[in-house]
Amino acid sequence: MLIDIRDLYKIYNEGKESEVRALDGVSLQIDKGEFVAIVGQSGSGKSTLMNVLGCLDIPTYGEYYLDGTDVTSLSDKELARIRNREIGFIFQGYNLIQELDALENVTLPLIYRGVSVFDREDMAMEALARVGMEDRAHHRPSEMSGGQQQRVAIARAIATRPPIIMADEPTGALDSKTGRHVLEILRELYREGTTILLITHDDSIAATARRVVRLSDGKVIADHPQEVDWE
Amino acid sequence: MNLWQAFKMAFKSISMKKTRSFLTMLGIIIGVASVVIMVSVVQGQNKKNMEYFEKMGDNKITVQAYSYYDNNNETSQKLYDYCLSMSDLVLGITPDAEIGNKMTVQYRAKTLSINDWDSMSWGGGMDWEKMMHLKLGSDQYGVCNNYTLAGGREMSFLDVEKTNAVCVLGSGAKEALFDYTDPVGETITINGQPFLVVGWYESMDIQYWPEMDNIIVIPYTFNRTMNNNSTISSYVVKAKSASATTEAMTKLDAYLAGLFPKNEQGWSDQGDYYVQSNNSYAQDMESQNLMQSLVLGAIAGISLLVGGIGIMNIMLVTVTERTREIGIRKAIGAERKSIITQFLIEAAVICSIGGVIGIGIGCVGTLIAGKLLLDEAMMLPGAGITVGAFLFSVVLGIIFGMYPAIKASGLQPVVALRAD
Repeated sequence: MLIDIRDLYKIYNEGKESEVRALDGVSLQIDKGEFVAIVGQSGSGKSTLMNVLGCLDIPTYGEYYLDGTDVTSLSDKELARIRNREIGFIFQGYNLIQELDALENVTLPLIYRGVSVFDREDMAMEALARVGMEDRAHHRPSEMSGGQQQRVAIARAIATRPPIIMADEPTGALDSKTGRHVLEILRELYREGTTILLITHDDSIAATARRVVRLSDGKVIADHPQEVDWE
Repeated sequence: MNLWQAFKMAFKSISMKKTRSFLTMLGIIIGVASVVIMVSVVQGQNKKNMEYFEKMGDNKITVQAYSYYDNNNETSQKLYDYCLSMSDLVLGITPDAEIGNKMTVQYRAKTLSINDWDSMSWGGGMDWEKMMHLKLGSDQYGVCNNYTLAGGREMSFLDVEKTNAVCVLGSGAKEALFDYTDPVGETITINGQPFLVVGWYESMDIQYWPEMDNIIVIPYTFNRTMNNNSTISSYVVKAKSASATTEAMTKLDAYLAGLFPKNEQGWSDQGDYYVQSNNSYAQDMESQNLMQSLVLGAIAGISLLVGGIGIMNIMLVTVTERTREIGIRKAIGAERKSIITQFLIEAAVICSIGGVIGIGIGCVGTLIAGKLLLDEAMMLPGAGITVGAFLFSVVLGIIFGMYPAIKASGLQPVVALRAD
């Protein structure tokens, strides 16, 4: 079991009148190499779930085992290590650093990982090449289209070759053609054995995944595999 | 992430955000430059003030003694004798007086006018530096006033007692009358009366008081014939050391109290007196200088603080932008330590560059201010104030620059990412 969460709660303003239960007792198990879509309306708690699964946020209650490790007991430093080595993030808003060019953005996680200066440029270029952005290596985010920025963000997510990719509405800001291209890259990563978590509100996007987990009001209301025809 | 990486990231970040970096530096630049210039100018002025006292010599006691009945140098003679009796404490005594009448000094074709007020126009032709002074002194005039003989001899005790027509020249008077020839043994006339030059002094070479060299010293016993005011009331007593100064002052005080006994009303009908040492003048001057330095230093420090607040403002304005950047960095695996290190270096580098520029401007400013205000050709700030201002600015910048990093790096990544 790669991801194993049990009775997970994320509660804001607990005990007050404005209490919000973003996650209301979620349990979920995901195996290595799965392609899971987490779908739900806005406010259903799917982004919160990804943030908790990605160690970007801490749950209020509940257990979270990542590859057998109890994540809730880890230190800040150990969490940083997990975010760096185990998980690659793709955000709706790309979240590239504006002052750095594409190559530098992709190199950043490798620097934090401690990859030697000789290897990391090669690794970063390889990641850019995988998303077809090698010829834009020295462009800054402001000089690229949304689709190009998202591809750079994907290159950054895969540069450290993490076993898990978490994508939060990766196509949300893109037109349907570039969106399809991004999904194609995710499918390719899946075929290579990477575990993919795709968060979306759009059922047609979710249709690309092998398993769909449906959230509503912070609860899992459906969890089923689906057959997909990718060709 | 190693330190070198952090340095590279910091430089990258600075060069990419030029405007912000420059604005941040500006506060530091202005602060450091103003501190350096202000303190340097005050220090330069103080140095000049103290130079005067150093050249004049220390352990000098000023005695004012005015007898209501003395018109025959009686008090001078008594003080002179009394000082001789304290030879274990005192090096010498001389009247501190000069001829106030209009005088003409001649040597062959050369003429010097002394106190020729009519021919001096107050509007602009008046040249204080070229004014000559006809001093009334004892045989210990040179010792008391820190002059060194360049040639010849001092006046002797007998010259004074017998009112011999001899004189000793200051270097300014010697140059004016004799150029570069030896004046010893020559005779000059003062208002027609011949005076034998027996010696001349080396130059005091004080930039601000060149008139200290423009003197002709004659025996004080000439005061009766040459000065309308025939009474000498001011004296300089040179003591051997600082402790001797204190002791001699006590003794002189007691002696003069005996000379001018007070009546029941608490005042003397014989005369009046007053004893003070220039050690206390120098101390007053020194503490005044210190006060000035402190006040101006405080003003300059405030400008540095304002600079620091400027930095803080800039940093706070960009805090959300940076918070998001920190969120991104954390999401891709940066440890808190790496982020703080990067921001620390960034702030330190910005402030150091600003500090160096500030010191550069401060040096140029000090040079200009030194030339304009103090007439110093090459005045540069002291090392202490330079290093001090630099360190202060760097520390300020680091404290304020670190603020967003410390704050944002402690957030959950998702919270930092949400900052807009």
